[in-house]
Amino acid sequence: MSPELSRRLNADPESVERSLVTLVLTLVELLRELMERQALRRVDDGTLPEEKVEEVGTTLMALDEHMDELAEHFGLTRRDLNIDLGPLGPLLPDD
Amino acid sequence: MTSASEITWHDSDFDPRGTDRLALVDLLDRVLAGGVVLAGEVTLSVADVELVTISLRALITSASTLLNQGTDTPRPGP
Repeated sequence: MSPELSRRLNADPESVERSLVTLVLTLVELLRELMERQALRRVDDGTLPEEKVEEVGTTLMALDEHMDELAEHFGLTRRDLNIDLGPLGPLLPDD
Repeated sequence: MTSASEITWHDSDFDPRGTDRLALVDLLDRVLAGGVVLAGEVTLSVADVELVTISLRALITSASTLLNQGTDTPRPGP
């Protein structure tokens, strides 16, 4: 790799693997948060059967805890699992 | 002369400074009510000879929108 390119691109295996894991976990988190929001809408609409509400709620909570464990396993924080899309804003909420 | 009193906004949706950034996931969440169709096509060619075509149309929508198409009353999902 030319010196100019190696200044702009960090391609050492460890960094690439870390970035890839972060991206994958961020996408998983995107889907989890999307499902959470959709489930809330269904509860608000009244289109989620009573007996399912608690089940869906506990499953989403378990998924949230699992994300904590996955992130920790790879040495990442939950805050790391986000993408800044510039003018489009962040992918996931900042808080 | 009475002293001016401060009016405090407690509406959490209203951000007068406009500094809270809207997350894309929130936009996606609202768009799912109507649904989104993504269409794309890729053709792989060599020396102007078309060899492989990949065509994709994807519908991304909330399950309840799909279920309730054409009805007035919302129905519970599966």
